[in-house]
Amino acid sequence: MIDAADLERRYRRLLKCYPAAFRREHEQEILSVLMAGTEEGQRWPRLAEAADLLRSALYMRLQTRFRTSWAWECRHRRVMVPVRVISGIWLVALTAILYGWGVGGWWGLLLVPAAAGHFYSAYRSLRHRVQG
Amino acid sequence: MKKRAMQEATFLILTALAGGSQHGYGIITDVEQISDRHVRLRAGTLYTALERLRADGLIEVDREEIVESRLRRYYRLTATGHERLAAEAARRQAHALVAISRLEAVGALR
Repeated sequence: MIDAADLERRYRRLLKCYPAAFRREHEQEILSVLMAGTEEGQRWPRLAEAADLLRSALYMRLQTRFRTSWAWECRHRRVMVPVRVISGIWLVALTAILYGWGVGGWWGLLLVPAAAGHFYSAYRSLRHRVQG
Repeated sequence: MKKRAMQEATFLILTALAGGSQHGYGIITDVEQISDRHVRLRAGTLYTALERLRADGLIEVDREEIVESRLRRYYRLTATGHERLAAEAARRQAHALVAISRLEAVGALR
């Protein structure tokens, strides 16, 4: 019984890595799944299990962040699409100027993907309807 | 929007739920059985998938129970979930049938 309490405490600590909103809704539920999968006398979470929890927590955090900023950009696309397009064109022009003068060096590696990112964001905002 | 091919884990989770609602640990053991013990989902992977499936409207919460002071939340397929699983199963079956018929044609299938 002591072992189980130890193990549960350790699982709870791992679950703290999840976003708060997710934890509020799912912590008890995941905990029962985790505890159901343990063996008699087990005191520590298995390494693979712990790694999987951390990976999933990180994924959810990144996704939450990405989704919010994405939704924001979609809502403001009337402003953001021109901003993205102009930024992209400006970066392309800058790249052309730098290489035209022969001082581009490795900057292209930074500038070209950045320009592509701006164009892609504009393209996505235009294509998708705002969700929720 | 283009639909990407469904991941194995997602396909198995939906298949587990196709027979009726199940809770988290029930899904894990069922998937293990369906896959002939090849796939044992871990809790993190399972809940990442369940979250996404719920956001996409393929599954929903059916009910909650407390068993031995532990929370069990049961999930079930939505109408969209049934549709997507049927489409995915048909797609996989079509691919498998082509593979089998070609293997048969060259006599590589026992």
